[in-house]
Amino acid sequence: MTTSNAPLPTYQAKDYKSELKPIWCPGCGDFGVVQAIYRALAAIGRPPHEIAFVSGIGCSSRIPGYTTAYGFNSVHGRALPIAQGIKIASPELLVLVAGGDGDGFSIGGGHVAHAVRRNTDITYIVMDNQIYGLTKGQLSPTSPKGLHTVTSEYGSLEEAVNPLLYVLAYGANFVAQGTPADMAGLAEVIEAAIRFPGFSFVNVQSPCVTFGEDDQQVKNHRATMQSLAKLGHDPTDRLAAMGLAQKYGKELHTGVFYKNPDPPPTMNALIKERQQVLSEKAPPRSRIFDRFLQT
Amino acid sequence: MTDKTRSIDLANISLRDALDLAVLVEEEAKDRYEEFADQMELHHNPEAARFFRFMLAIEAKHESRLAERRRGLFGDEPRAVKREMIFDIEAPEYDEVRANMTLRQALDASLRAETKAFEFFEAAAEMVQMKDVQDIFTELREEEREHQALVRQEIDRLPPEGPARDDDDEIVAL
Amino acid sequence: MGMAGSGGDGIVSAGESLISAAAYEGYHAMMTKSFGSQVRGGESSCRVRLSTARVQNPGGTLDVAIALNWEDFLKFGAELPVSGDTVVIYDSKTGVEPGQIPLVGVTPKEVFAVPIGEMARRAAGTDKAKNSVVLGLIAGWFGIAPGSIVRGLNKKFAKKGPELLAANERAFHLGEEFAKEHPLATPRAMAPPTSSGSKMLTDGNDMCAAAAILAGCEFFGGYPITPSTEIMQFFTREVWKYGGAVVQAEDEIASIGAALGASFAGKKAMTATSGPGMALKTEILGLATIAELPLVIVNVQRGGPSTGLPTKPEQSDLFQAAFSASGDVLRPILAPTSVADTVDVTVEAFNIAEHYQTPVILLSDQEIAQRKETVDPIDTSRFTFIERKRPTAVDLQSYARFRMTEDGISPISHPGMKGGNYQGAGIEHNEQGNPTASGKVHAAMNAKRFRKLAPLQRRRDLFRIDGDPDAPFALVSWGSIAGVCREAYLRATAEGLAVKLLVPWLVYPVAEEIYREFFGSVRAGLVVEASHQGQLYRILRMYVDVPRGVTSFARDGANPIQPGDVVARLRAAALALQSPPSAQQIACEE
Repeated sequence: MTTSNAPLPTYQAKDYKSELKPIWCPGCGDFGVVQAIYRALAAIGRPPHEIAFVSGIGCSSRIPGYTTAYGFNSVHGRALPIAQGIKIASPELLVLVAGGDGDGFSIGGGHVAHAVRRNTDITYIVMDNQIYGLTKGQLSPTSPKGLHTVTSEYGSLEEAVNPLLYVLAYGANFVAQGTPADMAGLAEVIEAAIRFPGFSFVNVQSPCVTFGEDDQQVKNHRATMQSLAKLGHDPTDRLAAMGLAQKYGKELHTGVFYKNPDPPPTMNALIKERQQVLSEKAPPRSRIFDRFLQT
Repeated sequence: MTDKTRSIDLANISLRDALDLAVLVEEEAKDRYEEFADQMELHHNPEAARFFRFMLAIEAKHESRLAERRRGLFGDEPRAVKREMIFDIEAPEYDEVRANMTLRQALDASLRAETKAFEFFEAAAEMVQMKDVQDIFTELREEEREHQALVRQEIDRLPPEGPARDDDDEIVAL
Repeated sequence: MGMAGSGGDGIVSAGESLISAAAYEGYHAMMTKSFGSQVRGGESSCRVRLSTARVQNPGGTLDVAIALNWEDFLKFGAELPVSGDTVVIYDSKTGVEPGQIPLVGVTPKEVFAVPIGEMARRAAGTDKAKNSVVLGLIAGWFGIAPGSIVRGLNKKFAKKGPELLAANERAFHLGEEFAKEHPLATPRAMAPPTSSGSKMLTDGNDMCAAAAILAGCEFFGGYPITPSTEIMQFFTREVWKYGGAVVQAEDEIASIGAALGASFAGKKAMTATSGPGMALKTEILGLATIAELPLVIVNVQRGGPSTGLPTKPEQSDLFQAAFSASGDVLRPILAPTSVADTVDVTVEAFNIAEHYQTPVILLSDQEIAQRKETVDPIDTSRFTFIERKRPTAVDLQSYARFRMTEDGISPISHPGMKGGNYQGAGIEHNEQGNPTASGKVHAAMNAKRFRKLAPLQRRRDLFRIDGDPDAPFALVSWGSIAGVCREAYLRATAEGLAVKLLVPWLVYPVAEEIYREFFGSVRAGLVVEASHQGQLYRILRMYVDVPRGVTSFARDGANPIQPGDVVARLRAAALALQSPPSAQQIACEE
């Protein structure tokens, strides 16, 4: 026997790859991310038609189109609300959300906290490149302070958002980080995030090859990344995770920051319970107006 | 080594699985070269695209030769090794390419990939227990060495070149 | 009947008891409420109109005015107009002599200073029973449903204990006795109801939500905003019972986003808001258009712009509904005209959304949404419910989500449907749903999205047209003001004016052929609406040759238009036609 006892997947990575050719710049980190997603999906083995993949606007938001899943390349910053609507309406679907750091932490930043507390069983993958690529190199919410861009000629004046710390502080039950510099690790955290019952968040350091800083490219990640598992981090310790997350922007940690060992029920579970209780004594839809009769 | 494969016990791998692994390594490289060639065409870099198609053909030939051998030895026996278990063994990494890369840079990327594959099979050959598997890995290692030589030869034939072209206008803004 | 008091006086609660009793007896009734902007304890008022015939609108000047204190009453100004025919009742505690009530330029028919507070304290030991005294006065003087009012009090106080009930009953009877001891100079008792059988009593927001659930709506995304919030509140109580769900989202954008997501997932979905929220939803509305997803968006209009008059009705969001979009967009706009037809219009909104795979805006307004109205029991079997066109097995063999079809409608799949996989997108796309920047494809897709809606403009059943088709005078009106115009039409017709009335449920796109036909015989008329600009009038002029004699009668929201105003203007327009044309007009005609 030369392989482990893991059940063999019914679907292969290539079954999730669409015919569409990515328009990303050659060398973009997102090529690795989409590969990792194919692999994670193959490992999970859900047929593509049972997957809904929602994105916003940005280079990375093109990603659903490169998969064979049902995709929804929506509007800037609104992928999370749309995805939650899909999941609440059709709980049996596997729902993925992806986008860039601008989509998730700038224009759509207000939705993240609520996606966390609503706790629908969806996975949010942010391709964090610290720059606006699609519009050609403006400051993004995760751009480091002082960065020179076309909208910060003399250096940016604002601190960067810390996506990991934000999401941990919002109370998320699964938070991880990956990089295409470690494809096996990236596929692994995405798979673990999808398998996690409830809202899960994966921040992927996915460098912009065109507008990103030279010292922030994938080859630098290979030299600097540190596996949280190897550091001995306990992923059930939220405070320890927050301590490590403080290093965002200075150190590149990969793996699971936090995974709630005792995940609370998902919103879908709570909805199902409520529907069951209340539908028992409900009049048929056709009698919905009876309540207004003066009796 | 461990970051290149997942769920494969290389030390105890069987001849059949070793052959399957080899086929998949070539298939992965072939697919990657095809993606690269497509990317180069999309970004109007025909020279690099042509080279990647040339590499694609080499990997494809190698793949089909290995696949034939596997069929001869093991017929239609199911494959235990899956494509999802390997990561960029001979395929150049995604960040090896740039829209405006020169032919020399494309060749360099390819050389690094062949070297990487050579090192993989060399390490694998040292690790395995069974003689026939060791022979296969050694043979594969030597083939990668040949590929390296082939790419080097191409590099040597290149004339000296200027700086990479500036193609800032190519990026589509939304 | 109009009454006003401070928040704690329970004057609105008295109105509710009264209208509930009237509905139980089979009267037709309507009640509007109006509040100061304080969340608690501000001034509050209500108007109740009762009739043995159908009530079309809240009515004009009051037959009965009740003031628990004058300061609060006067704050409502034109909303509670007193005339020479009004019976005025007020709390004598105000210290105002009947001859000196603070109403300028009007001498009411009769004025009663009643020790309302004192009677309440005598009966119940507390001022809180003032509303029960008021009910007793109304029952005593106007003969309205005393038995049913007491029955209502019984129901209301049943849970609060026998003592409270007894106290309120005593207060009611004190009021009733006072009325009997001080009879009106001119008796005004209501005739008994002509129709027997209890009616429903409800408001537009509740009817809209209930009709949506009836139509099969399984998802509601909302965000609290006056005056639409009751729609979400109804959903949060009811939708679970029918396998659906509701999300009170973090903002207006998320609420329409979640609803659109549910629609993408194949479910009927709705969101509701008011003007300012609508502004925030605009981007995703555009997404619904280009992604061709069914969605019903309710805008309960209030006075604008911006925060404007959150608790007052206005019809000034029509331009916003029709035109606030990036790109070329055509989205159907439907407007209910009463609490009762809110049901029909809501079901129709879902049917149109599903059939044409389009967002539909249901443009209600604060008055319809929040006024209480009697409605005859509804036979729900008269409705048909349309579902979106699904791909057949053959379609799925080589599925193209946005396939070019003759009628512009392409079968729509949803996640979970094998073989139907596609990319929904806000970006322009080809038939397969893949992104494109091709001008040719863009033009073809725009044409498809417009073409599919063309049949709507021929839907005569979405218009209510009354009167002689050849009449030279015309009224056009929409939304809550249509009820005012219907009464004006009836009065003008009774006066012998040859007038006809057109009320659209489908406000946009403009049904050019239907209007052209309607205006064919018309020489003079009015387009009546509650806005500053006269938005429907202006939109009609974009698409139709509106006869020169048809003018806009538009009044800013919160300034009620009365049927009498409409009749007077119509009469003036008719007279102008009979006088010889001015030199200027002749020049124009040449």
